Formats: sequence, structure tokens, C-alpha cells
Amino acid sequence: MTARIKDFPGTPLSEEDFLEGKVLYLHADMQGIFAWDTGIAIGSYLGGLKDGVILGSRCRHCRKTVVPPRTVCEWCFNPMNEFIELEDTGTVNTFSLCYVTWDVKRIKEPEIPAVIDIDGASPHHGIMHKLGEVEPEKVHFGMRVKAVWKPPEEREGAITDILYFKPIEEKSS
Amino acid sequence: MTLLKKNPQAPSAWQDEMPVTNRYTYGIAGERFFRAIKDDGRILGTHCPHCNRTYVPAAIFCERCLSELNEWVDVGTTGVVHTYTSLFVDYDGEPLEEPVLIAFVRIGDGGIIHRLDGVDPDEVEIGMQVEAVFKPASERQGSILDILHFRPV
Repeated sequence: MTARIKDFPGTPLSEEDFLEGKVLYLHADMQGIFAWDTGIAIGSYLGGLKDGVILGSRCRHCRKTVVPPRTVCEWCFNPMNEFIELEDTGTVNTFSLCYVTWDVKRIKEPEIPAVIDIDGASPHHGIMHKLGEVEPEKVHFGMRVKAVWKPPEEREGAITDILYFKPIEEKSS
Repeated sequence: MTLLKKNPQAPSAWQDEMPVTNRYTYGIAGERFFRAIKDDGRILGTHCPHCNRTYVPAAIFCERCLSELNEWVDVGTTGVVHTYTSLFVDYDGEPLEEPVLIAFVRIGDGGIIHRLDGVDPDEVEIGMQVEAVFKPASERQGSILDILHFRPV
């Protein structure tokens, strides 16, 4: 749409204008330090990742297993009954080929963020992570994938303890 | 049974840091206003002939009649203390040894919020004439801090 606009209103500025001092400006670096209480459910989830386990939680009333785990059921608002250890395999629910980094730098090889339905959780319940060891053009919905973990000694109780998910070959039974 | 027990391995808090940087440009009127401070040590305003108002810092349009302002005026470097306050804590909430005086200095029909210095806190009065003290020209960077403070005339 913007291709049709020849002259944008306003005063355009380029990086050179700043470097050459053609325009005055203020630069500020603010401190964005934070500490976030992980709580019972997400805390246990992160602790589980350290052990190489993807944890979900189950509501017996609704027969729902969600991942990441929650302490309260989203459907009946009752407390969830138990933590469940899920598989570290799953199915690609949706994905994106991303040619920019989080701070908007262009990259040649795309990052492939995906929502992965985790085996053992209720249908269409999954987590967001990255795909790896796969040609971007071969990624598809319904693709079977498995987590690639960091070595146990390097894990720190973070979602990045899983490096990425890679495709797996499975015999159809 | 409900989920009341947390995995003992679980991190209790997630600690991290977000990079938050920004670059602020002053806009068309602000650019000229700060250029005048940086290059000439002068304070500029813009005048609206229709409303007979002089905006300080300079504005590109009249906030009363919304017309574009092209009449730039040198409003001098003196103003009048409109209101002031004494600060006894610093930016992080730590107590200061000497209080810092902050004033709204009325210039034209606007004004500038800045530090007062060279005056005993007990002797500051509303209505007091004060003048801007600039940094040496070589050290000025095009910021409101190119004015060090205001002092009594």
C-alpha cells in the first residue's frame, strides 16, 4: 500500500542526518531490570524443564490437560488436580518463517517459530518454540517433531533448556 | 488434591533485563529552539499575532487558534520565578546534602522548568527576576542542560 505513496508528509530523517549532526536529538538508555515471580505452576514447569520434562496440568472434571501447567482450570475455574509429565514430542500446529530478528535485523536463514501441540496434552494444546534441523520449505502443519534439549549440566530452568524441536520419522501404525 | 506444591527445583523468580533505548528528536520548532541555545546562547519563542501570545519554548502552531506560527522572537535570557520547589531527595530517592531548587521560570507567555542556583533557598521569592546561565559554547550539545541553571539578576 505504501508503495503508491510518493511523498510522505513530515520531515524524513536518515541515519546519516544523525551521524553528521544535522539534527539535534537526545539518546537515553533506561534500565529495564525486572524480577517475575514464577508461581507454583510456571515455577514447576521451569523446574521440570531442568529435569528434561515438559510438565502439564490436568483438570479431572473437564478432562483437560494443558501445557504449560496452570493451577486453575480455564473452563470450570476449579483448582487443577495434578501435574502430568508429558512427552517431549508433538505436532506442528502453526509456524512462521521469520526473516527478521527480535530487534528487526534482516537475516538470510529464517528463524522458524512454531506452536507445537505436545503429546499427552489435550488436542490443540501446545507451546510456542522454535524448529531446527529442518529445511524451511519442508516445514508443514501436522509435522511430527521432538525436542532437542541442552545437555543436563547446562540447563537452568528456562524454556531455552529446549534448544528447538526437530522433525522425527515415525512409522505409521 | 490441588496443585499447591511447587517443584523444589523451580526458580522462584525469573530475573532478566530488557534493553530500553530511545532517540528523541525535538521536531521542527524544537530543533530551531535548541539550535539557538546551542549556537547562540539565545532563547527563542514564536509569536501568534492573532492571539497576541508568545510561546516559550517555541511552538510551530498556536495551541489557541491552531494557526501556524512563523514569527520567531528572541525573548532574552531573563524571566520571572512563577513557582518553585525545594528538592531534598535525588532521582533515586536518596537524601541530598544540599537541597536543589527547581523553578518554573516564566518567559513570554510560556516558560522553562529549570534549576535555580546562586540564591539562598530562604530568599527565593515568587516574582523574582532570574537569568539563564549557559554552559561555555564549546560544551553545549543542544539540550536543555546547555543552560546550567537560572540565577537572580
